[in-house]
Amino acid sequence: MELGPIWRALMRNKTSYVLIALQIAVTMAIMVNAVNIIQERSQQMARPTGVDEANIFYLSSVVFDPDADFEVQIAADLDAIRNFPGVHNAILSNSVPLHGGGWSEGLRLEPDPTLDATGSAIFFTDEHGIDTFGIDLIAGRNFEPGEVTWYDFDAGDWPAITIVTAAMAEEMFPDLALDDVLGKTMYIHDTKPIQIIGITERMQAAWSGWSGVERSMLIPSMRGSSGARYVIRAEPGYRDEIMPQIEEMLASSGADRIIRNMRTMEEARARSYLEDSSMVTILTFIVIVLTAITGLGIVGLASFSVARRTKQIGTRRALGATRPAILRYFMLENFVISTVGVTGGAIIAIGINMWMVDAFGLQRIAWYLIPAAMVTLWLVGQLAVYGPARRATMVSPALATRSV
Amino acid sequence: MLSMQNVSKVYRTDTVETHALREFSLSVDEGEFVSVTGPSGSGKTTFLNIAGLLEEFSSGAYQLDGRDVSGLNDTERSKLRNEKIGFIFQSFNLIPELDVFDNVDVPLRYRGFDAAERKKRIDRVLDIVGLGSRNKHLPSQLSGGQQQRVAIARALAGEPRFLLADEPTGNLDSHMADSVMDLLSEINRDGTTIIMVTHEPSLASRANRNILVLDGQVSTSEPELHLAAQSG
Amino acid sequence: MFRYYVKLGLFSIRKNPILSALMVAAIAVGIGACMTIINVDYVMSGNPIPHKSDVLYHVQLDSWDPNDAYQDPDLPPEQVTYLDGTALLEAGQARRQVLSFKSSRIVEPQGEDERPFQVISRSTSADFFPMFDTPFVYGGGWDKSADDNEENVVVINREINERLFGGENSVGRTLVMNDMPYRVSGVMDIWEPLPKFYDVNNGPFEDVEEVFLPLSVSIAGEHGSSGNTSCWNAREGGREAFLNSECIWLQFWVELHGASERQEYMSFLSAYVETQKELGRFPRPMNNRLNNVMEWMEYEEVVAEDVNVLLGLAYMFLIVCLLNTIGLLLAKVARRTGDISLRRALGASRQAIFSQYIIEAGVIGAAGGLLGVGTTWLGLQGIKALYGEFEFIARLVAMDWVVILAAIGLAILSALAAALYPTWRACSVHPASQLKAL
Repeated sequence: MELGPIWRALMRNKTSYVLIALQIAVTMAIMVNAVNIIQERSQQMARPTGVDEANIFYLSSVVFDPDADFEVQIAADLDAIRNFPGVHNAILSNSVPLHGGGWSEGLRLEPDPTLDATGSAIFFTDEHGIDTFGIDLIAGRNFEPGEVTWYDFDAGDWPAITIVTAAMAEEMFPDLALDDVLGKTMYIHDTKPIQIIGITERMQAAWSGWSGVERSMLIPSMRGSSGARYVIRAEPGYRDEIMPQIEEMLASSGADRIIRNMRTMEEARARSYLEDSSMVTILTFIVIVLTAITGLGIVGLASFSVARRTKQIGTRRALGATRPAILRYFMLENFVISTVGVTGGAIIAIGINMWMVDAFGLQRIAWYLIPAAMVTLWLVGQLAVYGPARRATMVSPALATRSV
Repeated sequence: MLSMQNVSKVYRTDTVETHALREFSLSVDEGEFVSVTGPSGSGKTTFLNIAGLLEEFSSGAYQLDGRDVSGLNDTERSKLRNEKIGFIFQSFNLIPELDVFDNVDVPLRYRGFDAAERKKRIDRVLDIVGLGSRNKHLPSQLSGGQQQRVAIARALAGEPRFLLADEPTGNLDSHMADSVMDLLSEINRDGTTIIMVTHEPSLASRANRNILVLDGQVSTSEPELHLAAQSG
Repeated sequence: MFRYYVKLGLFSIRKNPILSALMVAAIAVGIGACMTIINVDYVMSGNPIPHKSDVLYHVQLDSWDPNDAYQDPDLPPEQVTYLDGTALLEAGQARRQVLSFKSSRIVEPQGEDERPFQVISRSTSADFFPMFDTPFVYGGGWDKSADDNEENVVVINREINERLFGGENSVGRTLVMNDMPYRVSGVMDIWEPLPKFYDVNNGPFEDVEEVFLPLSVSIAGEHGSSGNTSCWNAREGGREAFLNSECIWLQFWVELHGASERQEYMSFLSAYVETQKELGRFPRPMNNRLNNVMEWMEYEEVVAEDVNVLLGLAYMFLIVCLLNTIGLLLAKVARRTGDISLRRALGASRQAIFSQYIIEAGVIGAAGGLLGVGTTWLGLQGIKALYGEFEFIARLVAMDWVVILAAIGLAILSALAAALYPTWRACSVHPASQLKAL
């Protein structure tokens, strides 16, 4: 191993080696930060909504007959849907997780408007809600049919009971065990009390980018209006088949209405995370292309570097270097250059990340990204230099005695 | 110590066959200072390459230090070069980015000596050539004569069986040439075998035996000159 | 001499095809990555209404919760309440003012075969059309008296006009929406402000609404808002209570020319807020805002943060490509020291060598730039494929001449910058120094 002489030789003739090292450094900085963002987004996208995403779809029914009795219409629709073959259950609701639009309210522990409120997503539903969304109660009970009322738009009152997600329970009552949260009262709309009768494990809000996305509340209230959203859970395997059938059934039911925006939960998820998934794709592409360019650049520069030193290679061979020894020399030389590069790269990567944490609120890089990137770039460098290095081994020792 | 019998080297292209060496025979004993001379194109360089195991030959036999070199693979030949032969080139062939110490170090690294052993040897040979104080100099900071001395030191460091010198003073002015030849003579007096290839008769006279090569063969028209062995 | 050097440059490329191809490819890829993101950024941060962007102002009043700012650190709401919007509209203290919100209607074509369909509409006061200079194919908007009289008039877009009236001049004809007849007062031409500045809150890249009707008609008819609604305090149920509440759900813009008009309007806003405070509203400190179009775009951070992150990464990508180019150019120069040395010996000055190699780099840069236009196009198609669903993306990824020229320009400049050091090295080669080796 000729580490000493290789290092000393590099120090004396810096230019093209500095370029390779610099390229590796900047590539590493980009790579580390890009992968960091990819990781962050992927983690975001992997979060479960808590509902039965594979089988749920939803649609809007817009009635434009001004004389229609919405409550009667909706009750009839739900009945027809629930009895449709292939449907597991259905409800009227304002929104679904990851839909992008929905309702939120601020909740407090005291009826005192001066206190800070905690935001929560609101899902209006009836006693079929839990079964339709496919969420599990981990404490307490479901709504009774008698507890579900039609919302009176003029009176504007709110139901006095709710089912909350565990995250909401923990946020509001951090010091209590979940079972002890049951029966506790919160205050909505400043002074209206609302009691927790049930806790469910997880149900995300409609906005994937919201910091409070895990905080949701189910409210036993039906909102009869011209625009109704039906959330339907199909039996496993039936969803795609019955979607057009249900649409047809509702559209031709005789009421003056149009059915639109029919969508599966999977589509809702894809839309919700469209920016994130696109970012992941773009960044992955950038990392791959960047690595390829740097690799090719090293191949080019290494080829040149070898070609420049054929006389030296011949001399070394004459002095007794075996072919493997020559290969090792160039691989080792490249390794040293790469090491300088990745060391600089680590510093730049961390620096850039710190700036991005500040400027964009990105997350900090996981510690293992730096060594992983180092190893990757070492490998890329070694792979890139292998070809030129092998060509170097083919230089004949007789070159040493040539007079030109 | 070194013996060639009827060694031939043929270069073949699609259209032409060149016989660089024909039936070349030579025997060198330990302690000799042999010069190989001839006009350019006579095959001296080919002989040099073959003797130095830098090239393979087409037919004949070559024994180095009692060992037959035909049939050796590249790694074995490299090892043999490294252990038995010390090269001195016309254009010094020092590595420009390495200082004097590291240049002399090169063959020793391939030998596998540890750091202490290498340092000992390097110091010793630099002393012999009179450049002990210039460890850290770069070749560009040395005169031609000094560079060749470094090359000689490099050749000696591994305690080779013989030195193989190719026009060792070809790139030097007469003053430096003389001092380098003096050095070589002294090394030979101390017991090291030297084979020198040159086209200059005045250099050849420094050796104690001269072989003349013409058209790839040892010329029989000129008698071998046996110079009286120098005392010492 | 320029043409001679260009010729030499092209010749040199032919002689070193792989090396040159590598350089051109690296530049093209780097330019492609950069320009793709720059294009998206350029369109996203473009001025949607350049000839009027500094006379149109978005109004914000802080009617929000005394205990909690609408948005940290202390920003006022992005929309206005019905109370404040109508009050400011009535006061008429600016040259023009417009109050509007996003709604939806169901169009009922009168033919037997045609099924009803839903449209996104904008319920707005009359000044919308002159203020935002909306283009018309036929007719125009309505006037203040139509607002006051709650006339059922409507402006439709070209698509609706095609669909319902066969593209003819439909001014004066009737359109039925949600069982109510409306008189068509105008057909709007294709209008696609990018971003959709007048209602950023509901999506800065959404399509313009298909149908426009008077605000007063929508209020009287109790049409609901399809946009965002936020309320901070409790209120009674019912429509009346909602209209009188502190819920924000409308957008209010004014037109003011010159600094003094702007000043006067700010004073007016302060005075208005003071009177409201006396009535017990506006518990928070005075925090009125007047932002013109570009200021409002920046306030709302219309250019997605992701785009800024990608922009930074794209520039770094370009740097890597340039380092690549410098290295490869150095390799090329070192290979040709013999040629340089010969030329110097034959009488070329240092400047001549410099010119030759810089121009050669420029040729490579131009080649890389031309290829880079292609890679940029590919990149933009890739973006389009990723976001396929959303039609507005088609406008974000459209390349115009500015972008094409910028790509080529950037490529040439980058190649020249990269070439500076290698070319300087080329000039340092001594005449005839390399000739012995030839």
